[in-house]
Amino acid sequence: MLIRLSGGEVIDPVNGKTSQRDVWIRDGVLIDIPEGETADQTHNVSGCIVMAGAIDIHSHIGGGNVNTARLLLPEYHAAHQPRPTNTPLSNAGWSTFRTGCLYAQMGFTTVVEPAMAPYTALHTHLELADIPIIDKATLAILGNDDFTLSLLRDGKSSAMIDDYVAWVVGSTRALGVKVINAGAAAAFKENVRSFSLDDVVPEYGVSSRKIVKSMQASVTRLGIPHPLHVHANNLGIAGSANTAAATIAATEGVPLHLAHLQFYGYGTEGKRKFSSEAARLAEAVNSNPDVTIDIGQVMFGQTVTISSDVMRQFAALGNASPKKTVIFDGDGNGGGGIVPYRYKQDYYGSIQWAVGLELFLLVTDPWRVFFTTDHPNGAPFTAYPELFELLMSSAARDAKCTELNASALELTTLASIRREYNLEEIAIMTRAAPAKLLGLKDRGHLGAGAIADVAVYRKGKDIAKMFREAALVFKNGDLVVKNGKVMHYRWGKTLRLNPPPDKAMAKRMNAYHEERYGLSLDWFTFPDSAIQRDEPFAEVSCNS
Amino acid sequence: MSVAWIGSQPVSLTDAIQNAVKLLASSRCPVFSLDTDVHGTRSAIALATILGGAYDHTMGRLLANEIALITDHGGMFTTPGEVRRRSSLIVLVGEVPVFHHELLQTWANSKPDLGDKHSRHWFHVAGAETNSLDSKLLRPMKAVPVGGENLSLNATLAVLRAQLQNRQTVSTLSNIDRFKSALTAAQFPVFVFSGGSVETAGLVMLQDLIADLNKKGRASSLFLPADDDAWGSALTSLWMTGFPPRTGFINSLPSYDPVRWDVQRMLREKEADLHVWVSTREGETSPKGGKARLISLSRTDAPTAGAMITIAVGKAGIDHDGVAYSSRIGTFGFVQAMAPSHLPSVSNIIRQLADALPGKKEFAC
Repeated sequence: MLIRLSGGEVIDPVNGKTSQRDVWIRDGVLIDIPEGETADQTHNVSGCIVMAGAIDIHSHIGGGNVNTARLLLPEYHAAHQPRPTNTPLSNAGWSTFRTGCLYAQMGFTTVVEPAMAPYTALHTHLELADIPIIDKATLAILGNDDFTLSLLRDGKSSAMIDDYVAWVVGSTRALGVKVINAGAAAAFKENVRSFSLDDVVPEYGVSSRKIVKSMQASVTRLGIPHPLHVHANNLGIAGSANTAAATIAATEGVPLHLAHLQFYGYGTEGKRKFSSEAARLAEAVNSNPDVTIDIGQVMFGQTVTISSDVMRQFAALGNASPKKTVIFDGDGNGGGGIVPYRYKQDYYGSIQWAVGLELFLLVTDPWRVFFTTDHPNGAPFTAYPELFELLMSSAARDAKCTELNASALELTTLASIRREYNLEEIAIMTRAAPAKLLGLKDRGHLGAGAIADVAVYRKGKDIAKMFREAALVFKNGDLVVKNGKVMHYRWGKTLRLNPPPDKAMAKRMNAYHEERYGLSLDWFTFPDSAIQRDEPFAEVSCNS
Repeated sequence: MSVAWIGSQPVSLTDAIQNAVKLLASSRCPVFSLDTDVHGTRSAIALATILGGAYDHTMGRLLANEIALITDHGGMFTTPGEVRRRSSLIVLVGEVPVFHHELLQTWANSKPDLGDKHSRHWFHVAGAETNSLDSKLLRPMKAVPVGGENLSLNATLAVLRAQLQNRQTVSTLSNIDRFKSALTAAQFPVFVFSGGSVETAGLVMLQDLIADLNKKGRASSLFLPADDDAWGSALTSLWMTGFPPRTGFINSLPSYDPVRWDVQRMLREKEADLHVWVSTREGETSPKGGKARLISLSRTDAPTAGAMITIAVGKAGIDHDGVAYSSRIGTFGFVQAMAPSHLPSVSNIIRQLADALPGKKEFAC
């Protein structure tokens, strides 16, 4: 099948300046203009912008904690149900099916679930496999499990740590590694209630800093394309900017991705001892080329916070709205907390909202700042269109500011920032840069040879509307969305690394599970066939 | 050997599928009773979605009780692995289903290697209605009973919570001082319960008690489902539709309502005209009564009594590979066929039904 998208304004920063040109697709792959051939299918996209499919690097879309949130809040799903349409599955509430459809309708074609507990990997992959249309990937959580902490306590070699990390990544079919408040979940089980970068985990005598540094180094040595994904300590508390700054300073020449930085952008100024430190953090990011960040933007309204940072979630129980929560002390790196929350346009909500936007606008390099709401923690991903508008229109920001708490906004720099993202920067932040960060060479751009993940938006003054309902979306060359409606279901793949397992480590893991859990390793591992989809996984290469 | 019947007559699988599809397509209100592995559940829910049917688990009443704890309240939980490795104080609450006793025994035979690493102590919080732990597997644990004369389990939990807060109570509990001392000594006590023997109000009281303990120290609970497959179906349903079982569809929109979509009630009150019974449990048959036509997908070598169509299906982990929830690990596990057979899987049969339905339908599995 030869498809031609004709007359669109192509925004593809990887392959050159924005220009009006045709985009050609053959059998699911982008190609150069084929000389002398006629397209089987032509779509006139004049008046539209054409971008690669968007990539979300941090969105909690599947797995045990997400599913528990569904169980805790059936009323929340009901509130989000759309009007009936012609396609039955598109009406399922906060389900895997709805997730795939809603992302596709906005032109997103790849989404990363950033927190997979290794012991529940099968559950996570079952859910991801039931998300239609888009490709998925997931990051394996490490840094709180007895095996890692014991290796570090006992001073085992970096080679052994690498073997373990590689075994986890391979056996859980992950695309990378994440640490979440490294060491805190283990410490919380020992009744520790606060945990900073240089605090040590009881029993192990290992600091959070040591865990982060060890995992960061291991990920780099193994050639895992995505740098260590770090959910730092002290999320959400006044003064957390100091922790974030210390974590940024700790990179020491090795790449590191700091997740949802907005939740660390808080100082202790003002009457309420809660202020914005976004400008300081943005400067720290700007001056450290080893660091990439995503934002975790807050948007106002009801949501539910889902995090494997069980210590932080426990501390937040008092803020739950409605007043029902789940706290889960999981195995090793599993567990977490589900705390529903309503972001109000009050002092605190206004600070959080402004901090996110300050970071977006003050971090100067769109290749190093990533577009997220930490779905659903800052806001559901369905708030993305409104967030695009806030980034691209200072007038939209000004208008929103008039509704918010003025004394809070005075403690931020937001009013003084007039920057507006242009479409090229949006394309970098949501397409080209995520592909580069994750090591996905086959997407994020519209050059020949890339998979035909293409989003076409009808240009208009209403930026939110433009990004909410893509005019056309192609996934691997299949037309899946037309005029903001899903036209065709398909089943994407889950992208994974597959580092070769060290045989000695596999043997050691089996012995460990037999001894410590009384169960063979077979209880925790699974073949691809367990997913029951045709070729559910696609391999991504490690760096050589 | 036949795997399909129309009435009591053996027929080819193709004929059975075609006739079943006619029933499905003409049904005004089909309902599904499920009791199968993850992929069987996925496919059945996908079919219910297409048809606008309602679905429930065959143990719907029991499951609804367990689900209500989370939907109405929430709580603090941990895993079997953490209990084994970290908990030196295990408190059994009410009755624990027999199929979990082997798991409890493995803890009794091991010592925590994390946390306080003390030898394990066992208590049993029981109500007047609770059967004693008089099984061969549980006797060696010598669980110390905690309870009050003629107090129900719900009341016992309420009195226990009050006494742990040093509040005055009318009733007294046996061994309460011993229990308090054990709680003080343990770093990570865990209360083990099952939805089968504790009512939702009692489960909520238990969770509030655990919340009290976590104000200054640590404690958690381990939920052992009354039935693993039922809980697995609940989790599967959650990601498939956003809701736990007892979900139906109104104008294609899923709707969770544990009363309205109680399939047994719907059959009794003649709201449903077609019952699709999907059970791979040995010896289970659909309940009799009601006037709805019956399609039975069962692990059987004979037609189901009262069924218009019966199709024999295999069980994951025996006849074919599959995925099932396991309370041994607190999550889903891959189960390999122990005795591969000719019996088709539930998902295979339901896929054939979906493919044969008139009109083009998006089938999710």
